[in-house]
Amino acid sequence: MTEAGSKLFCNCKANYRGMEPNTNVCPVCIGLPGALPVVNRKSVELALAASLAFSCSTPEYIVFTRKHYFYPDLPKNYQISMYERAGGVPICRGGRVRYLDIHAWEWKECRLRRINIEEDPGKTVYGEGGILRSAEAYVDYNRSGVPLLEIITEPDLGSAREARQLVEYVLLVLEYLGVTNPRLEGAFRVDANVSVEGGERVEVKNIGSTLDVERAINYEIMRQSAILSSGGKVERETRHWDAERGSTRPLRQKEQEEDYLYFPDPDLPPIFLREMVDRARSLAALNDPSALFAQVVELGVSKEMAWSLVTTRPALELFLQSVKRGADPQLSARLIAVDYKGELREKNRDPYDPSSWPATEYVTELVRLVKEGVYTYDAVKGIVLPKLAENPMVDLKSVLPQRAENLDSIIDEVLKREERAVKDYLSGKAQAMNYLVGAVIKATGKKALDPRAIREAIEKRLGRGS
Amino acid sequence: MKSREAWQELEKIREGRDVVGHVEEVLARVEKWEGEVKAYISLEIPELLRQRGEELERRLRKGEKVGKLAGLLVSVKDNICTTALPTTAGSRMLDGYVSPYNATVVERLLAEDAIVIGKTNLDEFAMGSTTELSAFWPTRNPWDLTRVPGGSSGGSASSLAYGGADLSLGSDTGGSARLPAAYTATVGLKPTYGLVSRYGLIPYGNSLEQISPMARSVRDVALLLEVIGGWDARDATSLRVGSPVFSLEPAEARGQKICLVKEMVEGAEEPVEKLFWNVVEKLSSEGAELEEVRIPVLSKALPTYYTIAFAEAASNLARYAGIFYPSKGSSGIWEEYVGEARAKGFGREVKRRILMGVYALSEGFRDEFYVAATRVRRAIRDEVLKLTRRCIIAAQASPILPPRIGERLDDPLKLYYMDMYTVVANLAGVPALVQPIGFSHGLPVGIQWIAGPLEEQKLISLGLLVESLTGLAGVMVD
Ligand SMILES: [Zn+2]
Repeated sequence: MTEAGSKLFCNCKANYRGMEPNTNVCPVCIGLPGALPVVNRKSVELALAASLAFSCSTPEYIVFTRKHYFYPDLPKNYQISMYERAGGVPICRGGRVRYLDIHAWEWKECRLRRINIEEDPGKTVYGEGGILRSAEAYVDYNRSGVPLLEIITEPDLGSAREARQLVEYVLLVLEYLGVTNPRLEGAFRVDANVSVEGGERVEVKNIGSTLDVERAINYEIMRQSAILSSGGKVERETRHWDAERGSTRPLRQKEQEEDYLYFPDPDLPPIFLREMVDRARSLAALNDPSALFAQVVELGVSKEMAWSLVTTRPALELFLQSVKRGADPQLSARLIAVDYKGELREKNRDPYDPSSWPATEYVTELVRLVKEGVYTYDAVKGIVLPKLAENPMVDLKSVLPQRAENLDSIIDEVLKREERAVKDYLSGKAQAMNYLVGAVIKATGKKALDPRAIREAIEKRLGRGS
Repeated sequence: MKSREAWQELEKIREGRDVVGHVEEVLARVEKWEGEVKAYISLEIPELLRQRGEELERRLRKGEKVGKLAGLLVSVKDNICTTALPTTAGSRMLDGYVSPYNATVVERLLAEDAIVIGKTNLDEFAMGSTTELSAFWPTRNPWDLTRVPGGSSGGSASSLAYGGADLSLGSDTGGSARLPAAYTATVGLKPTYGLVSRYGLIPYGNSLEQISPMARSVRDVALLLEVIGGWDARDATSLRVGSPVFSLEPAEARGQKICLVKEMVEGAEEPVEKLFWNVVEKLSSEGAELEEVRIPVLSKALPTYYTIAFAEAASNLARYAGIFYPSKGSSGIWEEYVGEARAKGFGREVKRRILMGVYALSEGFRDEFYVAATRVRRAIRDEVLKLTRRCIIAAQASPILPPRIGERLDDPLKLYYMDMYTVVANLAGVPALVQPIGFSHGLPVGIQWIAGPLEEQKLISLGLLVESLTGLAGVMVD
C-alpha cells in the first residue's frame, strides 16, 4: 500500500523510496523494547475498500495476528499479519476477482481465499558476491512496517497468461482505489503456486513484475512437465525466481508446514469496521475499472481503445471530462488513447502523470475543429499532438496549423500565378497538384501547414473537391 | 518502625522547605540501606539529584507554578524505559541498553516535576515472584534481610520500605506489584487494564499487565495514579478516559459490601489467615456487610494465567537476537549467532518460560493450551465482573509470609503458586489494591481488595478506611 501515507503501525512514511538507509525508522517499526504498534486507520480503510471491490465477506471487526519467524530484517522476529484461526480475523475471507482477458475480450473469474493486512519486513542488502558469497549483509529498515495487502487466490487459474492478466487487473483495481502505485519499485511481489498434473505444488517466490509472472509460471510449467515426462517426481518445495536468468532455483524443501506460532497480537485490540464501511463502499463503487470500461464502451468506443483509456487513469479522466463537455466520444478516444498516448511514449513522458496531459478544453477544441472540418484528423495528429506532448501547457493557438481563411487569398494568388500547373492538373497530370501545394506552402512563408488540407482547399477551388 | 508519606513531604516542600534537604534525607536512607538491600540496578548521580532540587527551589522561590510531584523522588522499575538511565529489565540481554525514548509514564512524572532517583531491580523480564531471578543480584527485604521482598517489582517495594524513594513505579502482570507490597508493608495498586499507558514498558504478558503505582500509603498511591493514568495515543490498548482524580475521603464501613471469595481466601498459611480475618471482622463489626461466595472456575486461574503469560512472553522475547541489543553471538552462521546471543543473554527461568510459551502456541497444541486458556480467561472475567457489580472482593495477597532467600528457587511450581491470589485481577482486567494489615513475627502481611473496571476510587476509599483501622500508613524500617 504505497499510498497509505504512513507505515502500518507508526508515523514513518509508507513510501520509503530514495531515502538514506535507516532514516525512515522509529522505536515502533524497529521493534524496540516497550514500543507499541498503533494502527494507521487509512491502511485499514484502503484494505477494506479493496475487500469490498473484490466482493469479500467483510467481518464486523478485524484482529491482527503475530506470525513468528527469525530473520535479520524482521526486527521483532515476528510479523504483525493476519490469520483466520487461533482468534485472528482477517479483513477478507472469500471474495472473487472478475478480470478482463484482453485477448478474448471476456471477463473471467478467480476466487479469493483471503486478504490480509500485514507489515513489510526491512530489506537485506548483500555485499559483493550476493547472498551466496558475500561476507557481509546489510539491513535497511526503511521498509520495515510498511503496510502490505496480501491477496491469496484459490487455485482457479489455468495458464500463465491468465495469472498475469489477473495480477494486472488486481493492480489496476488497487491503483484506482488509491491503495498503491504499481509502478513504484517494489510496490508489489507475487508468489505463484504452480502444479502440473501428476506432481506436487511448487511455490515460486520473488516475482516482481507482471511480465515475470507469465515468464516464471511458464518456466515452471516447462520444468515440471519435463521432470514428469522423463519419469521423475515433482516434490513440494519453494523456489526462487531469478529474473535475470529467467529461471527458478530451489529455496527450501517444504517437508512440513513451518510453525509460525500464530496468535492474536495482544497490543492491538479488535478494530471494528462499521464506521469505515460506508466510505469504503463508495470508494470502491466510484473507482471500479470494470464499470468505467463498460461506460466507455457504451459510448461507442472500441474495446481496445476503452481498455487503453482505463489502464491509464489520467487518460480516462481526460476522456470522460471531454465527452461530458460535448466532445465526440470516438474521436476523443482515438486522440487520447491512441495518438496522444503514442506521442507520450515516443517522447518518454509518463502517461500516468496527469501533468503529461493537456487540459480538457484543448481536447474538446481539437475534436470540434476536426469534426467541423476545419482541420483533418491527420493534421491534428501530425502537427498538434507532438507539440502538445512536448508541452501540454503550450498555448493551443500557437501550435494550430494556419487557419484556412488566410489560405484562401494565398491559394487564389498562387493559382493565378501558376496558370500552367493548373492547366496541367486539370488536364489530368496529378503530379501538378504536388507542385501547387508546395507553391502554396512556400507562399505562406513555410509555416506549419497540413498539406492534405491545402490540397483539399485547392481541389475545392478548382471545382474538383468533394 | 518509622512513618513517612510522600504527600506530607510534598506539603512541606510547598510550604517552603528546601527540596535539596529532602533529597539529602532520601539519599541518607539509600546510604544506610542500599548496600545490603540492593534495591537499585542503577542510581542517578547524587549531584544531579541535588541540582534538580536546587532548580525546583529556584522556581518555588520565584513563585512559579510547579508540578503535582515537585521534588518527590520516584524509583522506577527497570523494565520501564528511560533515556537518562539504562533500562535492563533485569537481564544480561539488555545489560547496558539505553532506551532512546522515555515511557509515557516517565514523561508524565517528569512533566509533574518528579525526580527519578534510580531504576529498581526485578526478576529478569519481570518473570518471577521473589526478585531473586534478576540476572544481577537478588534484592533483600528490608524488614528481614534474609528474606525476599517478593517480585517481580521487589526492587521498587524495597526502595520504598527503607525510605529510598517517596514513590515508585512497578509493573504487575500477575501480582508483580501487589505481592512485593504485601511482603514489604507497602501499598501497590494494579490499575484497570488500559488505565495506564504501557508505552515504554518492556512487555512480559501484554494482555495482563499494567504499570502500577507503589508507595507507602493509599493516599500516595492515589497521587501517583492521578499523574500516570489516562489515555495515551501511543498505546492502542489504553482506555479513552482522562486522568483520574480521586477523592481522599475514607469509605464508611457501614453500607460497604464485601465479598469473600472462598477460592481467594482459603489456602493461606496460618499467620496470614489470622491477620486477614482480623481486618475483615473489624470491618464487619463496624457495619460492613460480608458475603461468602464461591467461583469454582478460579481453580483454573493459575494455569490459565501462566499459559497466556508464557505464550505472550515467548513472542515478546523473540526480538532479542543479537542485532540491536547488548548480548551478541560470535558465529558467522546466522542461526548459531542468534542461538549464542540468546543462550548467553537469557537466564534459566526466562528460557523455561519461552519454551513453555512456544509449546502452548505451537501447531497441534495451540487449541489445547493457548486457545483453551483464553476461553477459561473469559469465563473467569465474566464471573469476576458479575461479582464486582455488587461488592468489593476481599482476598489474600499471598498464601505465605515472605520466604527466605533461596527457599523457593529450586521448584518452579512452588514459585508459581505464590501468585495464586493475585492473577485473578490480571485475568479479569480489573483493579486491585494490596495494603499492609499487620506483622507476623516481624514480617509484613497484606490484604487484597478487588473492584470492577475503573473503580479505583472504591479501592482507594476502602484502603483509606482500612489504614485508619490498622494505623499502617507510611511505615518503613528505621
Ligand atoms: Zn516507524
